[in-house]
Amino acid sequence: MTVDAVYLLQLTLNGIALGLIYALIAVGLSLIFGVMEIINFAHGELLMLGAYAMTFALPVMGLLYWPSLAVAIITIMLVGLVIYEVLLTRLKPDEFERAILITLGLSIIIIHVMQYLFTATPRMVDTQYGFEGIEIGSIRLTFTRIIGAGAALAAFGGLYLVLRYTQFGRAMRAIAQNREAALMVGIRPRVVARNAVVLAAGLCGLAGAAISPIQLVTPYMGQFLIFKAFALVIIGGLGNIPGAIVAALGLGLIESWIGGFFEIVWQEGAVFVIMIAVLFLRPDGLFKRGGMRVG
Amino acid sequence: MSAILDVTDLRKSYAGVHALDGVSFAVEAGSVTGLIGPNGSGKSTAIDCISGFQKRDGGRIVLAGKDISGQAAHHIARAGLMRTFQTVRIYERLNLRDNLAIAAQQFDAATWVDELLRTRRYRQAVEKAETRALELVELIGLKRYWEAETGILSYGQKKLVALAAALMPHPKIVVLDEPVAGVNPSRIREIEVALAELNRAGETFLIVEHNVEFITNLCHRVIVLDQGRKLAEGTAQEIHTDARVLEAYLGMTPEMAEAEMRGAA
Repeated sequence: MTVDAVYLLQLTLNGIALGLIYALIAVGLSLIFGVMEIINFAHGELLMLGAYAMTFALPVMGLLYWPSLAVAIITIMLVGLVIYEVLLTRLKPDEFERAILITLGLSIIIIHVMQYLFTATPRMVDTQYGFEGIEIGSIRLTFTRIIGAGAALAAFGGLYLVLRYTQFGRAMRAIAQNREAALMVGIRPRVVARNAVVLAAGLCGLAGAAISPIQLVTPYMGQFLIFKAFALVIIGGLGNIPGAIVAALGLGLIESWIGGFFEIVWQEGAVFVIMIAVLFLRPDGLFKRGGMRVG
Repeated sequence: MSAILDVTDLRKSYAGVHALDGVSFAVEAGSVTGLIGPNGSGKSTAIDCISGFQKRDGGRIVLAGKDISGQAAHHIARAGLMRTFQTVRIYERLNLRDNLAIAAQQFDAATWVDELLRTRRYRQAVEKAETRALELVELIGLKRYWEAETGILSYGQKKLVALAAALMPHPKIVVLDEPVAGVNPSRIREIEVALAELNRAGETFLIVEHNVEFITNLCHRVIVLDQGRKLAEGTAQEIHTDARVLEAYLGMTPEMAEAEMRGAA
């Protein structure tokens, strides 16, 4: 079998775009884990809600991409705020199992409410860019993919700056590294946790909105993503944000390459094979001593 | 002088054991007060309850005229009582500057909107916090580690970082849990000098410590706990000659204690 270089490059670019979407979700999960020590299993549904928000915002905004993206992100941040204030704020740091059940339950409820309201029929999303794109030789990239990838990169840059250079970010890192020490100097745990959830929800809303013109939008689109994202967070080392980003990009590439050359079934299983291998070989994840963790 | 911290009838039991059986004491503003006692006497439990790190069963804790009994740790910290821990708790993957910035309640004046827009209010908060941080870093002699991750520091230096962090927001009182336990003897004297200097500058300390020499040199008053009760209270001199204290805590005769005192002085 000869590998066509152009085909491989196309797969690689698709893989990077996919990996960035995974990274947005995994980073949010990692952030919430770092600060609250819980895994938010409703995180995939935030992505789905972001995609739906985009489907409703676009017609209202006359198909303009950027304002709709902003509306979707802000909407999901508000959803995150409500989820925190109503449910997560009642959890204590040592209630890991309760947190799993509550967020898992919430995820199922959101899926079914969305299905009840908007049916399970997949929706297509059209933007001002339609299917326009750029062509380099015989490689074709749509603008929606390029913008999605660019927005994800910008979001990571922004997150880095927030965590590194703001008091708001420092407090998150402090709680993640040493909860008691942080409380003893007056860091308010609820405020920090709320900020982390809202920020993570915003990243997820961005992921959903960016993915909506590329994929069909259905109530179930987030369901499998959460398990993949969870696997990525473990592979990257729990609470390790750069680790999660690297793992997510790696997975996007691997999935894209596998999908290009093998049966599609292998694509979906790859991440879990890797996760299990990593858990046996390096129980703390690939990047135990990551440069900058949440904390 | 007036009491900045007033503890009345503090009680705490674990599974039927009275760790604290009605302890009362006061700390004068501007003083250094020692809290000593044999292992299991309840001194660590006492400061854990005072700082909100553990829930107390009963008793009243008043900080500068304000009742802080039963409040959460971060509320107590914001009310002006900061503490350190016996085992150092700092953020080892953050640099020294950030370690101190986290403790800086100076930032409270600015909201996240101020922070995002870098308003004057925010810049002033940063300036205030940085000034204080640099002043403290100078004092603890770690200025050259300003941008370094604190994980690389020695144990004694980490203790100093924790001390500086506790002092960041100009607290009303700082509670130190065994500040020199496990610290290299050559460094103990440095910590002692730093604390004495801070006290001269007006800081109030409550110190739990086993090192008798350290306590004797620093403390204006010493409170002795034994089996969850206050056994004695007085100046270091008085405590050293108190027969009950010697028996319960030091396990020495008065003659042995006198010899020790001479060595310490």
